[in-house]
Amino acid sequence: MKTLSVDVVVIGGGATGAGVVRDVAMRGYSAVLVDKGDLAQGTTGRYHGLLHSGGRYVVSDARSATECAEENVIVTKIHADAVEETGGLFVVGPDDDPEFSDRWAIGAAATGVPFEEISVGAALQREPRLNPRIRRAFSVNDGSVDGWQMVWGAANSAKRHGAQILTYHRVTDIFTANDQVTGVQCIDEKTGEQVRIDAGFVLNCGGPWAGKIAGMAGMGDVEVVPGRGIMVAMNHRLVNSVVNRCIPPHDGDIIVPVHTVCIIGTTDIKADDPDKLPIPREEVQQMLDAGEVLVPGFRDARAVHAWSGARPLFKDTRVQATDTRHMSRGMSLLDHGERDGLKGFISIIGGKLTTYRLMAEHVVDAMCEQLGDDRPCTTADEVVPGSESGKTYVVTHRLEAREKDRLDEQILCECELLTRKMFVDLFHDQPSANFDDLRRQLRLGMGPCQGGFCAPRATALALETGIVDAERATALLRRFLTNRWIGLWSIVYGDQARQTALDSWIFEGLLDIEHLPATAPEEVVL
Amino acid sequence: MKAVVIGAGIAGLAAAIRLNSEGVDVTLLTKGIGGLQLSQGSVDILGYAPERVERPLEALAGFAATNPGHPYAQLDADVVRRAVTWFADLLGPDLIAGDPDTNVLLPTAVGALRPTALAVPSVLAGAVKPDTRYLLIGFAQLKDFGAPLAASNLARQGIAARHEIVDFPARAGEVDSSALRYAQALDDKATRRRLAVLLRPMVRDGETVGLPAVLGVNDPGAWKEFEQLLGHPVFEIPLPPPGVPGMRLNQALTQRAKDARVRFTLGARVVGKVVDGDRLVSVALGTAGRTRDYPADAFVFAPGGFESGALELDSYLKVSETILGLPVETPEGEPTVPDYWADQPVFRSGLRVDADMRVGGFSNLYAAGGVLAGAMRWKEKSGEGIALASAMKACDAILEGQR
Repeated sequence: MKTLSVDVVVIGGGATGAGVVRDVAMRGYSAVLVDKGDLAQGTTGRYHGLLHSGGRYVVSDARSATECAEENVIVTKIHADAVEETGGLFVVGPDDDPEFSDRWAIGAAATGVPFEEISVGAALQREPRLNPRIRRAFSVNDGSVDGWQMVWGAANSAKRHGAQILTYHRVTDIFTANDQVTGVQCIDEKTGEQVRIDAGFVLNCGGPWAGKIAGMAGMGDVEVVPGRGIMVAMNHRLVNSVVNRCIPPHDGDIIVPVHTVCIIGTTDIKADDPDKLPIPREEVQQMLDAGEVLVPGFRDARAVHAWSGARPLFKDTRVQATDTRHMSRGMSLLDHGERDGLKGFISIIGGKLTTYRLMAEHVVDAMCEQLGDDRPCTTADEVVPGSESGKTYVVTHRLEAREKDRLDEQILCECELLTRKMFVDLFHDQPSANFDDLRRQLRLGMGPCQGGFCAPRATALALETGIVDAERATALLRRFLTNRWIGLWSIVYGDQARQTALDSWIFEGLLDIEHLPATAPEEVVL
Repeated sequence: MKAVVIGAGIAGLAAAIRLNSEGVDVTLLTKGIGGLQLSQGSVDILGYAPERVERPLEALAGFAATNPGHPYAQLDADVVRRAVTWFADLLGPDLIAGDPDTNVLLPTAVGALRPTALAVPSVLAGAVKPDTRYLLIGFAQLKDFGAPLAASNLARQGIAARHEIVDFPARAGEVDSSALRYAQALDDKATRRRLAVLLRPMVRDGETVGLPAVLGVNDPGAWKEFEQLLGHPVFEIPLPPPGVPGMRLNQALTQRAKDARVRFTLGARVVGKVVDGDRLVSVALGTAGRTRDYPADAFVFAPGGFESGALELDSYLKVSETILGLPVETPEGEPTVPDYWADQPVFRSGLRVDADMRVGGFSNLYAAGGVLAGAMRWKEKSGEGIALASAMKACDAILEGQR
């Protein structure tokens, strides 16, 4: 068994946990972050990619609106490499109640969310595929942010400040003695090794899993309701700005351009288990119908992938748990010292990706207060590694890079302009990674062919690096295809059905992957 | 007698050549250049049912009995044998080798062992035999063939296999070349010689040398000659599309058809039809500026399946045939299921034909190949067998009617 000793253990490697561990480390505490899977593999990686302007909240939640507007500026600065400054529009659809837009404009002015009303003509000029029958349009500062890149940025910043990041470390127990947390027990899921981490403080940033984690410390009544939402990515950017429907929050009310795709979201259904999130066909249909309102012809565009994410919502007994949209969207901070008499344990549930840094600041402030330390937060001032240039992401970044190295580098994935070197370098850096772990950082297999051409190449290359043997490489391929299909089967229609036929001819017809010799069973990630 | 064939894949080309050889005036209409060029150059009859099949023609009757909706339920072993033999004779031993009664196991580019009956001879030469010892050659500049992966996976199945990776650019200074680029380079004798000189010291006695399928695309003698240059047995392993062995077959078949005066109309889509009772009178081709009618006595419809766009699943999950609007048979229930390794039912969709391959209630419209309902061709390894036999049977019926 391995033993570590630190000031603080952060459980959960989503945006909240990464923000918290960065803040903790920057305030000079020794810290370890543990996650049962990869960084940003849960809720953070399964959303539509919106960096809020605040516009979504100007009517319903003034404080959230203001916080979003402020944090938008900060996140764009400290995570420049993860943020695309797409700008956004709030548009009133042909059948939408125009009265709401009046309230919206008043709300935006009152909450300090920058906006400008533009003519329908100007909106159409900016986004030619928009429904020409829209009645009103407001321009806002929405952006898109790559949740994986952002979390890796925060984690790398934390590392630079001395923190350790342990992915695939599942917490199995939280130790307490005399009403004080003393540490956690983990198992390294990749090696099976037991790891004990002694610490006087544990910050539970488990998102939809936070209730389960709190239960390990004996807090049986932290009930977290996962609100499941689906997202559908279309294979190119039908819009280049974020397009919101200017109505009260509604299923499928937003299209976000992210990287080479655009994403429509979302739904909101109570889920039972955050590890098992279905992608029902009815909800895909709902998204396609909703897309038609904003972009006529949306249905005829090609869907390339779909996923479900779970919003973690702390259950408030005043509203029905099945109506997750009307539960608090804000962060719930449970200081178990005050609440339950257990010192050194705080649970954080909920919140928004856009305000992840501010949430972390509040959490670490609460911890410092409990510890009686006066250490100011500096996370808003220091940019994370990779964002030093201050240049925000643009979708042509990789094209520009390939223009420079195209004569010297092989392209592994043409869809996403990923080179052999990028893959090999990251794999050497993270040798226990599976292809999905690498995908989240490299976008392997995320383009229209969904791995049809690059997955066998990546498998061959993985073996050639010497990091894995043929059995493991083959298992990585199998698992990658299994996992890709989870996000495909429900949106296989039109050209993606045609692509699936071609991919099946390659994988089964040509390569006969089905009949490769057996490998150790690989875990499927839903 | 006039016939129109729609589609230029293996089924359409076979039907056009067969009808033409019996004196029918044939016009072939095709939107694209035909799916054969994406293929690996094998003639699969039945590889898995679902367990591995060793004697495909013998297995057909039992397979059809358990799969009554499958095309093979209407295409018995005799017609499959006749069709495949006709095809092999048509192309000759330089382009097709093998035996329709027996499947061999061919190493794939990831090192699986894939059953097939016939293939281009350079590919068939890789068939696993007792005591085969493979040396697989990868090119550093060709990313679609990972020789270490293929060799290691073969070794995991108890087959002696090792690999070498050579630095051999298809064009000077090019680091990322396609299989086709290599094949074009190796059409050149001097380039082949350079490769043989590079490889010779690597080969140990008794080894069979496996290369990615890039030994020429236009020169049919390239493989044999390379084998002599190297002084060791050589075979090719097909790669993902474009498929060089499939291109060789396509070129030969297309040339055969053109030499025999089959008219080719490439690049336009069939956009309409004229019907008189149970007869299809003509189809309309959407050429530039106007549509043009192609009347005929008989029509062979061989446009392929989902991969070619002839069948389509729309966003409301309705399956349709996109060219003539014929009724499609599709399995009940969910079109796709969440398990990647399971059958995806939608891909069994297609046209239902009568015993003579007539379709849609027409007396003179016949369907062949990937558009037929009931098969899971990539899993079964049954694509070419179905295509050739259905084309043969459609031609039989047309020629019978002519007499």
